[in-house]
Amino acid sequence: MAHGNGGRRMRELIQSLFLRHLGNPWLTPLTDAAILPHRLPPDHDLAFASDGVTVQPLFFPGGDIGSLAVHGTVNDLAVSGATPLYLSINAFLEEGLPIEQLDRIVGSLATAARANNVHIVAGDTKVLPQGLCDGVYLGVSGIGVRPRGLLLGAERIHAGDAILVSGPVGDHGIAVLLAREAFGLSGSLASDSASVLPLTQSILDLPGLRLMRDPTRGGLATVLHEIAEATGQGIQLDEGQIPIRPAVRSACDMLGYDPLFMACEGRVVAVVSIHDVDDVLRRWRALPQGQEASRIGVVVPDHDQIVVRNAWGGKRVLQPLENDPLPRIC
Amino acid sequence: MAICTESLQHPEAPAARKMARRYELHGPVQGVGFRPFVYRLANTLNLWGHVWNADGRVFIEVEGSIDALQAFAHRLTAEAPTPTQPTIAAIQAIPPTHAPNFTIQPSPTNARLSAAHRFPLDQAMCDACLNEMNNPENRRHGYAFTHCNACGPRYSIMTGLPYDRERTTLAAFPMCAECAAEYGDPANRRFHAQGIGCPSCGPQIHYRSTSGDTIRNPQAALIAALDCLRDGGIVAVRGVGGYHLMADATQDQAVATLRARKRRPDKPLAVMVPWHGKDGLDAVHELAELTECEAEALCRPERPIVLLRSKAKQQASHRLSAQIAPGLHEVGLILPYAPIHHLMLSALDRPLIATSGNISGEPIIINPEDAEAQLAEIADGFLHHDRRIVHPLEDGIYRRIAGRMRPIRLGRGATPLIFDLPQTIETPLLAVGAEQRNTTSLAWRDQLLLSPQLGDLSGFAAQQRFIQQTTELPASVAISARRVCHDRHPDYASTRWAKASGLKCRAVAHHHAHASALCAEKGLVDTDTLIFTWDGTGLGSDDTLWGGETFYGRPGAWRRVASFAPFLMPGGDAAIRSPWRLAQSLAWACGLPWRATTATNEERQLLQTMLERGLNSPPTSSVGRLFDAAAALLRLVENSTHESQAPSRLESVATEATTDSKLYRSEARNAGEMLPVDLPIEQDSDDLLRVDWRPLIRMMTDETRTVAERAADFHHALAHLIHKQVRLLRQTRPIEAVGLCGGVFQNRLLTETAVTLLAADGIEVLLPERLPANDAAISFGQIIEGLVPETNPGRRIL
Ligand SMILES: [Fe+3]
Ligand SMILES: [Mg+2]
Ligand SMILES: [Zn+2]
Ligand SMILES: [Zn+2]
Repeated sequence: MAHGNGGRRMRELIQSLFLRHLGNPWLTPLTDAAILPHRLPPDHDLAFASDGVTVQPLFFPGGDIGSLAVHGTVNDLAVSGATPLYLSINAFLEEGLPIEQLDRIVGSLATAARANNVHIVAGDTKVLPQGLCDGVYLGVSGIGVRPRGLLLGAERIHAGDAILVSGPVGDHGIAVLLAREAFGLSGSLASDSASVLPLTQSILDLPGLRLMRDPTRGGLATVLHEIAEATGQGIQLDEGQIPIRPAVRSACDMLGYDPLFMACEGRVVAVVSIHDVDDVLRRWRALPQGQEASRIGVVVPDHDQIVVRNAWGGKRVLQPLENDPLPRIC
Repeated sequence: MAICTESLQHPEAPAARKMARRYELHGPVQGVGFRPFVYRLANTLNLWGHVWNADGRVFIEVEGSIDALQAFAHRLTAEAPTPTQPTIAAIQAIPPTHAPNFTIQPSPTNARLSAAHRFPLDQAMCDACLNEMNNPENRRHGYAFTHCNACGPRYSIMTGLPYDRERTTLAAFPMCAECAAEYGDPANRRFHAQGIGCPSCGPQIHYRSTSGDTIRNPQAALIAALDCLRDGGIVAVRGVGGYHLMADATQDQAVATLRARKRRPDKPLAVMVPWHGKDGLDAVHELAELTECEAEALCRPERPIVLLRSKAKQQASHRLSAQIAPGLHEVGLILPYAPIHHLMLSALDRPLIATSGNISGEPIIINPEDAEAQLAEIADGFLHHDRRIVHPLEDGIYRRIAGRMRPIRLGRGATPLIFDLPQTIETPLLAVGAEQRNTTSLAWRDQLLLSPQLGDLSGFAAQQRFIQQTTELPASVAISARRVCHDRHPDYASTRWAKASGLKCRAVAHHHAHASALCAEKGLVDTDTLIFTWDGTGLGSDDTLWGGETFYGRPGAWRRVASFAPFLMPGGDAAIRSPWRLAQSLAWACGLPWRATTATNEERQLLQTMLERGLNSPPTSSVGRLFDAAAALLRLVENSTHESQAPSRLESVATEATTDSKLYRSEARNAGEMLPVDLPIEQDSDDLLRVDWRPLIRMMTDETRTVAERAADFHHALAHLIHKQVRLLRQTRPIEAVGLCGGVFQNRLLTETAVTLLAADGIEVLLPERLPANDAAISFGQIIEGLVPETNPGRRIL
């Protein structure tokens, strides 16, 4: 790919590539703004989310940056209780990116959008000098609609509420890490990158649903820390109930990482009243993505930390982490 | 206490008084029957006056004949009840006050005066009480809470200061008429013994089996517990500072059951040995070699666990299961200290495992409810009592190194520990210690108080206890700190607490704290000293992981003069739990073909990629990690289940080699027959000496030599390295004394070899003795570092 500035033919090439994959009535005319028919269902509000997507490598087992970008914003809307309708995509392309790779990425974007019934209605591309954006950066914004009166939020969480997760944690983080570092054993590991819309939609009507989050960067542990901070209450996790694939666990053991801090891209964490736990689990487990859904913990009032209880009753504190953990053992 | 005693009238007339003296005494003189002792002594010598406690000291005013006063001065220290060891800080001549008698004055309770009060320490049952308990004629026959003012619980039951019955958990047990009479009789050895009680008024034991039945009758409760132990069962026994898990140490099956249930496959277990013979040590002699200082330590009122060399041929009657301390040449023995221990061990007449009652990695349990909930799947029965424990205290642990007993852990009977500072500091200072073996220290005015030790703060319960202790310690002496020193490591729970505390924070590099703790203990803050701080991993002032550092300087002004060439720890903490990773990392760094046996090809491949890419593979200069790697290179411990497993095993194997062959005797060394591996030292760009460890790794993988020889040579090479560093550094600076601290120097073979080599050059070696060499000393060192701006460096701190 040649430098983009003023390269008219290149611009045309890129436009045609994007249009070929994403072409739809709103995008195709290449107007400066997409004019969307105002057809909000009654008693609904607009939901608007935005996300920046970077990943290395661009293609990894279980997905690529294209599908990841769609899922990221779809999931942000979904866990807010919304149904996504429209997306905009800004692509920052590094000079020298092979055109076949771009083609695959945009194709994957289109497939993921179609699968989730969302339309990509606006977008832009910029080509940046080599070394500036690591292949591709994608900026994604999304609009959805959400039933008016749906009450979700940390302020609704009470001590005794259950913490549920829709499936095994850590898959995306470890799969991408192993793919990036070119380890020879990513075979059994794939990202969980997927839309969580079916999961979130299936439980929206339950009165005891307090909050949903998608545990992306920083993984399950980081989302739980955010919940604890927002509520001022602690969370006790039951280690044996947290679903983790054996391959994820053994790779994490070897690398010295805690799978609870590894990103997920297709999971939902829900805080639910004790009365609705069984309903959520039943509905989730009926879906292909939710078969390993599990109740992993409980909100507790007596502290404000995340505490993991192991099989023999020992409890460790899960401290928030930002970087690689420094060894603590002296 | 708020009492003023009645007293005996002296037969002698006041006319015989010639002069009066005022004494001020320092030392651990609270709650040990010191004032009653003074009272009796004064009466014996026909002296008038009074004794009182104030400000953590004892003051005495006496008047009488010159001869009597001279005798008093002598006998005051010579005959003081153990372990008071009072020192006379001041003697002053005062005008006689013509007091009508000798009295004990009440303790002042106001906050300012109580600020510096000594914390009375828990003490093992004394001989007199033991005799009473064993005497069928005595009203305390078989009573498990028989104490006097020279023995029994103190800090463990204390709810406030000063130490008086109303501020202990015995306040819940009103004295019967007989006990009250003893308590009020100045001639009785239970005169003002706050722990006084008897079967009709005091605490009692009871037993609860896993079937849920409670046996309230004390005799029946004891019998049920003993039956359970005889049958190979495990009993949780509530003692002084918390619960023990006890089991028959002679039954392999009982030990195996305990190990399986406690998920503690390898960690050595402490053994409580029956009290036999005149000095109580006969049964210990059957199990272990015993030197004089070790015997003294075992019998101290503190009554700690002492690590002793196991006897190869134990007498059949008391043979310990081989699973007590698998693969180690030492065993930790302890004598009974609570009356209940004496009752149990004399009835069973066999050694019992006495390991902390806790879930592995968690703090010791103190309450019956917690014991039954948390130990439900470990214990077959619970021998409870109803005297509440306020402060959890584990048994202390000591080891003889270089001829002296050195604490590995300070516990019951030794903590809280008080140091005197030589000068007053203006703002009280708190220090919150390290992550493991956490202690808290508080310095205010001219005092330093060091808390009992907690375990690993990554555990929730340990963290809760840490917060409680760190809050309580200043409150108990009515001090609020405004500054706090913490470790430089950002992820330690103690660091997080400090940063959230609102106090003014000061971060101290881990090994600077180690070095300063040793200097302060030895009173060397005004001269430059060379200190080796060898331990596991801690964060250095350059934010890399240190652990093999040599410093020159003094507290607050350390210069790092030598270290080890850094090596990579693939997986961070995971590399510490699996020493094979370290071994593999080091072997590859030397281009050696060594392969860990427990790792799969896939794991090794992953490890290689991690190292190549620097993925979660922090560099370190830690000698502790070299020990871990060495144990794995010899295939002694490739994966460890407890933290000191690898170095302990390596030392044991090496010690056998050193003892069994002439190879490592000094004559052989002198004759040049055995030259230890020489480690090259090079100056790096920062004027820092860097040790090249590669010859050590090559030697460790030389399969033409026996495992034991290599293990021994490893120790000797490192001892010689210390010697070599000192000789090198001595060329450019004056060095008369060399300090060795950090967890690595709990290794006797290494430490004693180094001491021998340095002593031959006329160098004095400083080893920690009041505080452990390990991270328990970190909070103390942090205080010393924190004092520096306020302290005149020309003065000695201790
Ligand atoms: Fe240390
Ligand atoms: Mg997101
Ligand atoms: Zn006694
Ligand atoms: Zn009584």
